[in-house]
Amino acid sequence: MQALLTTWKLTAVAFAIAFVLGVLITVMRVSPLKPLRFFGDFYVQIFRNIPGACLLIILVYAFPYLDIIWSYFTCVLIAASLIPAAFCSEYLMTGINAIPVGQIEAARSIGMTFAQMIRKIVVPQALRSSVLPLTNLLVATMLTTALASQVPLRPADLTGLVAHINTHAVGGVTAFFISAMLYCATAVVIGQIGNLIDKKVRILR
Amino acid sequence: MRDARTNIRDALYEAPGPRTRRLTAVGTALTLAALVVLIALVIRRFYEAGQLDSKYWALFAKYTTWRYIGKGLVGTVEAALMAGTLTFALGFTYMLLRISRLKAARAVGTALVEFTRGVPTLLFIYFFFLVVPQLGIKLSAFLKITLPVAISASGVVAEVLRSGVNAVPNGQREAAYSLGMRERSVFLKVVFPQAFRIVIPAMISELVIVLKDTTFAYVVSFPDLMQNAKVLISNYDSLLAVYLVVAVIYILINYLLNKASDFMARRRNQVKGAAAV
Repeated sequence: MQALLTTWKLTAVAFAIAFVLGVLITVMRVSPLKPLRFFGDFYVQIFRNIPGACLLIILVYAFPYLDIIWSYFTCVLIAASLIPAAFCSEYLMTGINAIPVGQIEAARSIGMTFAQMIRKIVVPQALRSSVLPLTNLLVATMLTTALASQVPLRPADLTGLVAHINTHAVGGVTAFFISAMLYCATAVVIGQIGNLIDKKVRILR
Repeated sequence: MRDARTNIRDALYEAPGPRTRRLTAVGTALTLAALVVLIALVIRRFYEAGQLDSKYWALFAKYTTWRYIGKGLVGTVEAALMAGTLTFALGFTYMLLRISRLKAARAVGTALVEFTRGVPTLLFIYFFFLVVPQLGIKLSAFLKITLPVAISASGVVAEVLRSGVNAVPNGQREAAYSLGMRERSVFLKVVFPQAFRIVIPAMISELVIVLKDTTFAYVVSFPDLMQNAKVLISNYDSLLAVYLVVAVIYILINYLLNKASDFMARRRNQVKGAAAV
Protein backbone atom coordinates (compact mmCIF):
# COMPACT_ATOMS: atom_id res chain seq x y z
CA MET A 1 0.00 0.00 0.00
CA GLN A 2 2.72 2.37 0.95
CA ALA A 3 4.46 1.54 -2.29
CA LEU A 4 1.38 2.51 -4.25
CA LEU A 5 1.28 5.81 -2.39
CA THR A 6 4.94 6.42 -3.21
CA THR A 7 4.21 5.77 -6.87
CA TRP A 8 1.23 8.12 -6.80
CA LYS A 9 3.16 10.79 -4.94
CA LEU A 10 6.07 10.59 -7.37
CA THR A 11 3.68 10.69 -10.30
CA ALA A 12 1.74 13.69 -9.04
CA VAL A 13 4.77 15.77 -8.09
CA ALA A 14 6.71 14.82 -11.22
CA PHE A 15 3.77 15.66 -13.44
CA ALA A 16 3.23 19.00 -11.74
CA ILE A 17 6.89 19.93 -12.22
CA ALA A 18 6.84 18.59 -15.77
CA PHE A 19 3.78 20.66 -16.61
CA VAL A 20 5.18 23.91 -15.24
CA LEU A 21 8.52 23.25 -16.90
CA GLY A 22 6.79 22.29 -20.11
CA VAL A 23 4.82 25.53 -20.18
CA LEU A 24 7.99 27.46 -19.46
CA ILE A 25 9.84 25.73 -22.28
CA THR A 26 6.92 26.34 -24.61
CA VAL A 27 6.95 30.05 -23.75
CA MET A 28 10.65 30.07 -24.61
CA ARG A 29 9.96 28.33 -27.89
CA VAL A 30 7.37 30.86 -29.03
CA SER A 31 9.25 33.90 -27.73
CA PRO A 32 10.72 36.30 -30.27
CA LEU A 33 14.23 35.85 -28.85
CA LYS A 34 16.25 33.45 -30.99
CA PRO A 35 18.55 32.09 -28.25
CA LEU A 36 15.55 31.23 -26.06
CA ARG A 37 13.86 29.47 -28.96
CA PHE A 38 17.01 27.57 -29.65
CA PHE A 39 17.40 26.59 -26.01
CA GLY A 40 13.79 25.40 -25.87
CA ASP A 41 14.11 23.32 -29.01
CA PHE A 42 17.41 21.93 -27.81
CA TYR A 43 15.97 20.97 -24.44
CA VAL A 44 13.07 19.17 -26.06
CA GLN A 45 15.28 17.22 -28.46
CA ILE A 46 17.61 16.14 -25.68
CA PHE A 47 15.02 15.00 -23.19
CA ARG A 48 12.62 13.58 -25.75
CA ASN A 49 15.34 11.27 -26.95
CA ILE A 50 17.29 10.26 -23.87
CA PRO A 51 16.33 6.89 -22.36
CA GLY A 52 14.97 7.32 -18.85
CA ALA A 53 17.32 4.74 -17.39
CA CYS A 54 20.28 6.55 -18.93
CA LEU A 55 19.27 9.88 -17.42
CA LEU A 56 18.62 8.40 -13.99
CA ILE A 57 21.96 6.61 -13.95
CA ILE A 58 23.76 9.80 -14.89
CA LEU A 59 21.95 11.71 -12.14
CA VAL A 60 22.56 9.08 -9.50
CA TYR A 61 26.02 7.74 -10.30
CA ALA A 62 27.73 10.34 -12.45
CA PHE A 63 26.70 13.59 -10.80
CA PRO A 64 28.48 12.86 -7.53
CA TYR A 65 31.69 13.12 -9.55
CA LEU A 66 30.73 16.73 -10.18
CA ASP A 67 30.19 17.16 -6.45
CA ILE A 68 26.46 17.28 -6.99
CA ILE A 69 24.82 14.83 -4.66
CA TRP A 70 21.09 14.50 -4.48
CA SER A 71 19.00 12.03 -2.57
CA TYR A 72 17.63 9.09 -4.51
CA PHE A 73 14.16 10.51 -4.27
CA THR A 74 15.25 13.81 -5.79
CA CYS A 75 17.07 12.02 -8.59
CA VAL A 76 14.06 9.93 -9.51
CA LEU A 77 11.85 12.99 -9.30
CA ILE A 78 14.15 15.01 -11.54
CA ALA A 79 14.47 12.22 -14.10
CA ALA A 80 10.73 11.60 -14.05
CA SER A 81 9.90 15.25 -14.58
CA LEU A 82 12.57 16.46 -17.03
CA ILE A 83 11.56 13.89 -19.64
CA PRO A 84 7.78 14.40 -19.51
CA ALA A 85 8.40 18.17 -19.56
CA ALA A 86 9.87 17.81 -23.04
CA PHE A 87 6.86 15.83 -24.23
CA CYS A 88 4.52 18.28 -22.53
CA SER A 89 6.10 21.12 -24.45
CA GLU A 90 5.80 19.14 -27.68
CA TYR A 91 2.06 18.61 -27.11
CA LEU A 92 1.51 22.25 -26.23
CA MET A 93 3.41 23.29 -29.35
CA THR A 94 1.19 21.01 -31.41
CA GLY A 95 -1.81 22.67 -29.78
CA ILE A 96 -0.44 26.11 -30.60
CA ASN A 97 0.47 25.13 -34.14
CA ALA A 98 -3.07 23.89 -34.66
CA ILE A 99 -4.44 27.41 -34.19
CA PRO A 100 -5.10 28.83 -37.62
CA VAL A 101 -2.97 31.87 -38.39
CA GLY A 102 -6.15 33.63 -39.53
CA GLN A 103 -7.35 33.80 -35.94
CA ILE A 104 -4.29 35.77 -34.91
CA GLU A 105 -4.74 38.10 -37.84
CA ALA A 106 -8.41 38.51 -36.97
CA ALA A 107 -7.57 39.25 -33.35
CA ARG A 108 -5.04 41.85 -34.39
CA SER A 109 -7.46 43.47 -36.81
CA ILE A 110 -10.02 44.01 -34.05
CA GLY A 111 -7.29 45.72 -32.06
CA MET A 112 -6.41 43.13 -29.43
CA THR A 113 -3.10 43.67 -27.69
CA PHE A 114 -0.44 40.99 -27.61
CA ALA A 115 -1.25 40.02 -24.04
CA GLN A 116 -4.94 39.76 -24.83
CA MET A 117 -4.17 37.57 -27.82
CA ILE A 118 -2.08 35.20 -25.75
CA ARG A 119 -4.55 35.10 -22.89
CA LYS A 120 -7.80 34.86 -24.80
CA ILE A 121 -6.88 33.02 -27.99
CA VAL A 122 -3.65 31.11 -27.80
CA VAL A 123 -3.57 29.67 -24.28
CA PRO A 124 -7.19 28.46 -24.05
CA GLN A 125 -7.05 26.71 -27.39
CA ALA A 126 -3.62 25.21 -26.85
CA LEU A 127 -4.67 23.84 -23.45
CA ARG A 128 -7.96 22.48 -24.70
CA SER A 129 -6.58 20.62 -27.63
CA SER A 130 -3.84 19.09 -25.51
CA VAL A 131 -6.06 17.57 -22.82
CA LEU A 132 -5.92 14.08 -24.28
CA PRO A 133 -2.17 14.06 -24.98
CA LEU A 134 -1.61 15.40 -21.48
CA THR A 135 -3.64 12.63 -19.85
CA ASN A 136 -1.60 10.12 -21.82
CA LEU A 137 1.45 11.95 -20.57
CA LEU A 138 0.26 11.60 -16.99
CA VAL A 139 0.02 7.84 -17.48
CA ALA A 140 3.45 7.85 -19.12
CA THR A 141 4.82 9.78 -16.14
CA MET A 142 3.46 7.13 -13.82
CA LEU A 143 5.16 4.45 -15.89
CA THR A 144 8.38 6.45 -15.82
CA THR A 145 8.35 6.51 -12.03
CA ALA A 146 8.88 2.74 -12.19
CA LEU A 147 12.47 3.84 -12.78
CA ALA A 148 12.58 4.38 -9.04
CA SER A 149 12.96 0.63 -8.66
CA GLN A 150 16.48 1.03 -10.06
CA VAL A 151 17.70 2.87 -6.99
CA PRO A 152 17.32 1.90 -3.35
CA LEU A 153 14.43 4.16 -2.45
CA ARG A 154 12.76 4.20 0.96
CA PRO A 155 9.84 3.72 0.94
CA ALA A 156 10.08 1.79 -2.30
CA ASP A 157 7.76 2.44 -5.23
CA LEU A 158 5.45 -0.22 -6.58
CA THR A 159 7.82 -1.82 -9.09
CA GLY A 160 10.72 -1.64 -6.67
CA LEU A 161 8.71 -3.35 -3.97
CA VAL A 162 7.66 -6.19 -6.24
CA ALA A 163 11.22 -6.73 -7.41
CA HIS A 164 12.34 -6.67 -3.78
CA ILE A 165 9.74 -9.22 -2.71
CA ASN A 166 10.72 -11.51 -5.53
CA THR A 167 14.44 -11.37 -4.98
CA HIS A 168 14.17 -12.00 -1.25
CA ALA A 169 11.30 -14.41 -1.03
CA VAL A 170 9.49 -16.56 -3.51
CA GLY A 171 6.38 -14.40 -3.67
CA GLY A 172 5.93 -15.33 -7.27
CA VAL A 173 3.21 -14.34 -9.60
CA THR A 174 0.76 -12.88 -7.10
CA ALA A 175 2.81 -9.81 -6.25
CA PHE A 176 3.31 -9.05 -9.91
CA PHE A 177 -0.33 -9.53 -10.68
CA ILE A 178 -1.51 -7.26 -7.88
CA SER A 179 0.89 -4.47 -8.70
CA ALA A 180 0.14 -4.73 -12.43
CA MET A 181 -3.54 -4.39 -11.61
CA LEU A 182 -2.89 -1.37 -9.41
CA TYR A 183 -0.90 0.36 -12.16
CA CYS A 184 -3.50 -0.57 -14.69
CA ALA A 185 -6.43 0.63 -12.61
CA THR A 186 -4.73 3.96 -12.02
CA ALA A 187 -4.06 4.30 -15.74
CA VAL A 188 -7.65 3.48 -16.68
CA VAL A 189 -9.05 5.94 -14.12
CA ILE A 190 -6.75 8.69 -15.37
CA GLY A 191 -7.74 7.89 -18.94
CA GLN A 192 -11.46 8.05 -18.14
CA ILE A 193 -11.14 11.40 -16.39
CA GLY A 194 -9.13 12.70 -19.33
CA ASN A 195 -11.80 11.60 -21.79
CA LEU A 196 -14.45 13.28 -19.70
CA ILE A 197 -12.60 16.59 -19.59
CA ASP A 198 -11.78 16.31 -23.26
CA LYS A 199 -15.43 15.82 -24.21
CA LYS A 200 -16.37 18.94 -22.25
CA VAL A 201 -13.74 21.28 -23.61
CA ARG A 202 -12.92 19.90 -27.06
CA ILE A 203 -13.06 22.39 -29.89
CA LEU A 204 -14.62 20.95 -32.98
CA ARG A 205 -12.86 22.07 -36.09
CA MET B 1 11.74 23.11 -39.22
CA ARG B 2 8.16 24.21 -39.80
CA ASP B 3 6.52 25.62 -42.84
CA ALA B 4 7.23 29.35 -42.94
CA ARG B 5 3.81 30.42 -44.17
CA THR B 6 1.82 28.79 -41.42
CA ASN B 7 4.32 29.29 -38.64
CA ILE B 8 2.30 30.51 -35.71
CA ARG B 9 5.47 31.36 -33.85
CA ASP B 10 6.03 34.23 -36.26
CA ALA B 11 2.40 35.06 -36.92
CA LEU B 12 1.99 36.04 -33.27
CA TYR B 13 4.13 39.10 -33.69
CA GLU B 14 3.48 42.18 -35.73
CA ALA B 15 6.13 43.53 -38.00
CA PRO B 16 8.38 45.23 -35.44
CA GLY B 17 9.00 48.96 -35.44
CA PRO B 18 12.45 50.42 -34.79
CA ARG B 19 11.97 50.56 -31.02
CA THR B 20 10.78 46.96 -30.75
CA ARG B 21 13.56 45.83 -33.01
CA ARG B 22 16.08 47.47 -30.70
CA LEU B 23 14.43 45.83 -27.68
CA THR B 24 14.50 42.46 -29.40
CA ALA B 25 18.16 42.90 -30.26
CA VAL B 26 18.98 43.74 -26.64
CA GLY B 27 16.92 40.80 -25.41
CA THR B 28 18.61 38.46 -27.85
CA ALA B 29 22.02 39.63 -26.71
CA LEU B 30 21.08 39.26 -23.05
CA THR B 31 19.66 35.76 -23.39
CA LEU B 32 22.59 34.74 -25.53
CA ALA B 33 24.91 35.97 -22.81
CA ALA B 34 22.89 34.10 -20.20
CA LEU B 35 23.20 30.90 -22.21
CA VAL B 36 26.93 31.35 -22.61
CA VAL B 37 27.27 31.93 -18.86
CA LEU B 38 25.23 28.80 -18.21
CA ILE B 39 27.46 26.70 -20.45
CA ALA B 40 30.54 28.24 -18.88
CA LEU B 41 29.25 27.36 -15.42
CA VAL B 42 28.72 23.75 -16.46
CA ILE B 43 32.22 23.54 -17.91
CA ARG B 44 33.68 25.14 -14.79
CA ARG B 45 31.87 22.58 -12.68
CA PHE B 46 33.48 19.83 -14.75
CA TYR B 47 36.85 21.51 -14.47
CA GLU B 48 36.68 22.01 -10.73
CA ALA B 49 35.66 18.43 -10.17
CA GLY B 50 38.65 17.38 -12.27
CA GLN B 51 36.44 15.63 -14.79
CA LEU B 52 38.04 17.35 -17.77
CA ASP B 53 41.25 15.57 -16.91
CA SER B 54 42.60 13.78 -19.96
CA LYS B 55 42.81 10.48 -18.10
CA TYR B 56 39.03 10.32 -18.07
CA TRP B 57 38.68 10.96 -21.76
CA ALA B 58 41.79 9.25 -23.14
CA LEU B 59 39.98 5.94 -23.56
CA PHE B 60 37.92 7.43 -26.35
CA ALA B 61 41.06 7.78 -28.44
CA LYS B 62 41.48 4.03 -28.43
CA TYR B 63 40.13 1.88 -31.21
CA THR B 64 39.17 -0.94 -28.83
CA THR B 65 36.89 1.36 -26.84
CA TRP B 66 34.91 2.30 -29.89
CA ARG B 67 34.80 -1.28 -31.06
CA TYR B 68 33.39 -2.26 -27.70
CA ILE B 69 30.84 0.55 -27.80
CA GLY B 70 30.02 -0.51 -31.35
CA LYS B 71 29.41 -4.05 -30.16
CA GLY B 72 27.04 -2.75 -27.50
CA LEU B 73 25.34 -0.66 -30.14
CA VAL B 74 24.85 -3.74 -32.30
CA GLY B 75 23.34 -5.48 -29.28
CA THR B 76 20.99 -2.55 -28.71
CA VAL B 77 19.97 -2.44 -32.36
CA GLU B 78 19.43 -6.20 -32.47
CA ALA B 79 17.31 -6.10 -29.34
CA ALA B 80 15.35 -3.10 -30.61
CA LEU B 81 14.69 -4.69 -34.01
CA MET B 82 13.68 -8.02 -32.52
CA ALA B 83 11.47 -6.33 -29.93
CA GLY B 84 10.05 -4.09 -32.66
CA THR B 85 9.12 -7.10 -34.79
CA LEU B 86 7.53 -8.89 -31.84
CA THR B 87 5.69 -5.71 -30.88
CA PHE B 88 4.30 -5.45 -34.36
CA ALA B 89 3.15 -9.07 -34.39
CA LEU B 90 1.49 -8.71 -30.97
CA GLY B 91 -0.01 -5.33 -31.78
CA PHE B 92 -1.39 -6.67 -35.06
CA THR B 93 -3.04 -9.55 -33.21
CA TYR B 94 -4.66 -7.29 -30.59
CA MET B 95 -5.82 -5.00 -33.36
CA LEU B 96 -7.47 -7.90 -35.21
CA LEU B 97 -9.20 -8.87 -31.97
CA ARG B 98 -10.39 -5.32 -31.42
CA ILE B 99 -11.94 -4.92 -34.87
CA SER B 100 -13.44 -8.40 -34.84
CA ARG B 101 -17.18 -8.86 -35.16
CA LEU B 102 -17.30 -11.10 -32.09
CA LYS B 103 -18.03 -9.16 -28.95
CA ALA B 104 -15.95 -11.49 -26.78
CA ALA B 105 -12.91 -11.10 -29.04
CA ARG B 106 -13.28 -7.32 -28.90
CA ALA B 107 -13.43 -7.41 -25.11
CA VAL B 108 -10.29 -9.55 -24.94
CA GLY B 109 -8.50 -7.21 -27.33
CA THR B 110 -9.47 -4.13 -25.33
CA ALA B 111 -8.40 -5.77 -22.08
CA LEU B 112 -5.01 -6.71 -23.55
CA VAL B 113 -4.46 -3.21 -24.88
CA GLU B 114 -5.40 -1.51 -21.61
CA PHE B 115 -3.28 -3.94 -19.62
CA THR B 116 -0.11 -3.58 -21.68
CA ARG B 117 -0.52 0.18 -21.88
CA GLY B 118 -1.00 0.66 -18.17
CA VAL B 119 1.87 -1.40 -16.78
CA PRO B 120 5.47 -0.15 -16.70
CA THR B 121 8.04 -1.94 -18.86
CA LEU B 122 10.23 -2.56 -15.84
CA LEU B 123 7.52 -4.59 -14.17
CA PHE B 124 7.32 -6.83 -17.23
CA ILE B 125 11.10 -7.10 -17.27
CA TYR B 126 11.21 -8.14 -13.62
CA PHE B 127 8.44 -10.60 -14.33
CA PHE B 128 10.48 -12.28 -17.05
CA PHE B 129 13.67 -11.94 -15.03
CA LEU B 130 12.41 -13.22 -11.68
CA VAL B 131 9.17 -15.13 -12.07
CA VAL B 132 9.51 -16.94 -15.38
CA PRO B 133 12.68 -18.82 -14.30
CA GLN B 134 10.88 -19.79 -11.09
CA LEU B 135 8.29 -21.47 -13.25
CA GLY B 136 11.07 -23.54 -14.73
CA ILE B 137 11.24 -21.84 -18.11
CA LYS B 138 14.73 -20.91 -19.20
CA LEU B 139 15.02 -17.97 -21.53
CA SER B 140 18.13 -16.44 -23.03
CA ALA B 141 19.08 -12.93 -21.89
CA PHE B 142 18.13 -11.71 -25.34
CA LEU B 143 14.56 -12.98 -24.97
CA LYS B 144 14.40 -11.78 -21.38
CA ILE B 145 14.82 -8.22 -22.59
CA THR B 146 13.03 -8.31 -25.96
CA LEU B 147 9.87 -10.10 -24.82
CA PRO B 148 8.90 -7.72 -22.00
CA VAL B 149 9.81 -4.65 -24.05
CA ALA B 150 7.72 -5.97 -26.92
CA ILE B 151 4.77 -6.76 -24.70
CA SER B 152 4.75 -3.37 -23.05
CA ALA B 153 4.83 -1.54 -26.38
CA SER B 154 2.31 -3.80 -28.12
CA GLY B 155 -0.79 -2.13 -26.71
CA VAL B 156 0.10 1.26 -28.11
CA VAL B 157 1.02 -0.26 -31.47
CA ALA B 158 -2.36 -1.99 -31.61
CA GLU B 159 -4.06 1.35 -31.07
CA VAL B 160 -1.91 3.03 -33.70
CA LEU B 161 -2.68 0.30 -36.23
CA ARG B 162 -6.36 0.52 -35.42
CA SER B 163 -6.39 4.27 -35.97
CA GLY B 164 -4.76 3.57 -39.34
CA VAL B 165 -7.41 1.03 -40.28
CA ASN B 166 -10.13 3.48 -39.26
CA ALA B 167 -8.53 6.18 -41.39
CA VAL B 168 -8.88 4.17 -44.60
CA PRO B 169 -11.94 5.56 -46.42
CA ASN B 170 -14.97 3.27 -46.28
CA GLY B 171 -15.40 3.50 -50.04
CA GLN B 172 -12.23 1.44 -50.47
CA ARG B 173 -13.76 -1.39 -48.51
CA GLU B 174 -17.09 -1.13 -50.32
CA ALA B 175 -15.41 -1.05 -53.70
CA ALA B 176 -13.42 -4.17 -52.87
CA TYR B 177 -16.53 -6.00 -51.71
CA SER B 178 -18.40 -5.00 -54.87
CA LEU B 179 -15.60 -6.59 -56.88
CA GLY B 180 -16.49 -9.81 -55.11
CA MET B 181 -13.43 -10.01 -52.86
CA ARG B 182 -13.64 -12.06 -49.70
CA GLU B 183 -13.55 -10.40 -46.33
CA ARG B 184 -10.06 -11.61 -45.59
CA SER B 185 -8.55 -10.48 -48.86
CA VAL B 186 -10.35 -7.15 -48.55
CA PHE B 187 -8.60 -6.58 -45.28
CA LEU B 188 -5.20 -7.97 -46.23
CA LYS B 189 -4.96 -6.61 -49.77
CA VAL B 190 -6.94 -3.38 -49.68
CA VAL B 191 -7.44 -2.00 -46.20
CA PHE B 192 -4.32 -2.98 -44.29
CA PRO B 193 -1.68 -1.91 -46.84
CA GLN B 194 -3.19 1.56 -46.89
CA ALA B 195 -3.60 1.64 -43.14
CA PHE B 196 0.01 0.67 -42.70
CA ARG B 197 1.21 3.45 -44.93
CA ILE B 198 -0.79 5.92 -42.86
CA VAL B 199 0.80 4.83 -39.59
CA ILE B 200 4.44 4.53 -40.73
CA PRO B 201 5.50 7.76 -38.95
CA ALA B 202 3.80 6.69 -35.73
CA MET B 203 5.43 3.27 -36.00
CA ILE B 204 8.87 4.83 -36.28
CA SER B 205 8.16 6.89 -33.16
CA GLU B 206 7.14 3.69 -31.44
CA LEU B 207 10.49 2.19 -32.42
CA VAL B 208 12.12 5.06 -30.51
CA ILE B 209 10.21 4.02 -27.39
CA VAL B 210 11.22 0.39 -27.88
CA LEU B 211 14.84 1.41 -28.30
CA LYS B 212 14.69 3.46 -25.12
CA ASP B 213 13.19 0.56 -23.23
CA THR B 214 15.99 -1.76 -24.29
CA THR B 215 18.31 0.30 -22.05
CA PHE B 216 16.91 -1.80 -19.24
CA ALA B 217 18.83 -4.71 -20.76
CA TYR B 218 21.43 -4.30 -18.01
CA VAL B 219 18.86 -5.70 -15.57
CA VAL B 220 19.15 -9.07 -17.30
CA SER B 221 22.81 -8.44 -18.27
CA PHE B 222 22.28 -8.59 -22.00
CA PRO B 223 25.28 -6.92 -23.66
CA ASP B 224 23.67 -3.79 -25.09
CA LEU B 225 25.11 -0.30 -25.20
CA MET B 226 24.30 0.46 -21.57
CA GLN B 227 25.70 -2.82 -20.26
CA ASN B 228 28.90 -2.44 -22.27
CA ALA B 229 29.22 1.08 -20.91
CA LYS B 230 29.20 -0.39 -17.42
CA VAL B 231 31.99 -2.78 -18.35
CA LEU B 232 34.01 0.06 -19.86
CA ILE B 233 33.57 2.02 -16.66
CA SER B 234 34.88 -0.76 -14.50
CA ASN B 235 37.88 -1.09 -16.82
CA TYR B 236 38.81 2.56 -17.17
CA ASP B 237 37.30 4.17 -14.09
CA SER B 238 35.81 7.12 -15.92
CA LEU B 239 32.16 6.90 -15.16
CA LEU B 240 30.98 10.36 -16.07
CA ALA B 241 32.68 10.50 -19.45
CA VAL B 242 31.44 7.09 -20.57
CA TYR B 243 27.86 7.69 -19.50
CA LEU B 244 27.77 11.09 -21.16
CA VAL B 245 29.08 9.66 -24.44
CA VAL B 246 26.57 6.82 -24.28
CA ALA B 247 23.74 9.26 -23.58
CA VAL B 248 24.78 11.32 -26.59
CA ILE B 249 24.79 8.21 -28.78
CA TYR B 250 21.28 7.29 -27.64
CA ILE B 251 20.04 10.83 -28.17
CA LEU B 252 21.53 10.95 -31.67
CA ILE B 253 19.95 7.65 -32.75
CA ASN B 254 16.55 8.60 -31.41
CA TYR B 255 16.82 12.08 -32.87
CA LEU B 256 17.51 10.61 -36.30
CA LEU B 257 14.61 8.18 -35.94
CA ASN B 258 12.29 11.03 -34.99
CA LYS B 259 13.52 13.04 -37.95
CA ALA B 260 12.83 10.07 -40.22
CA SER B 261 9.33 9.87 -38.78
CA ASP B 262 8.75 13.59 -39.43
CA PHE B 263 10.08 13.16 -42.95
CA MET B 264 7.74 10.28 -43.71
CA ALA B 265 4.81 12.21 -42.27
CA ARG B 266 5.61 15.26 -44.37
CA ARG B 267 6.08 13.22 -47.52
CA ARG B 268 2.76 11.56 -46.96
CA ASN B 269 1.03 14.90 -46.51
CA GLN B 270 2.61 16.15 -49.72
CA VAL B 271 1.40 13.09 -51.62
CA LYS B 272 -2.07 13.57 -50.18
CA GLY B 273 -2.00 17.26 -51.09
CA ALA B 274 -0.92 16.45 -54.65
CA ALA B 275 -3.69 13.87 -54.99
CA ALA B 276 -6.29 16.34 -53.78
CA VAL B 277 -5.37 18.97 -56.36
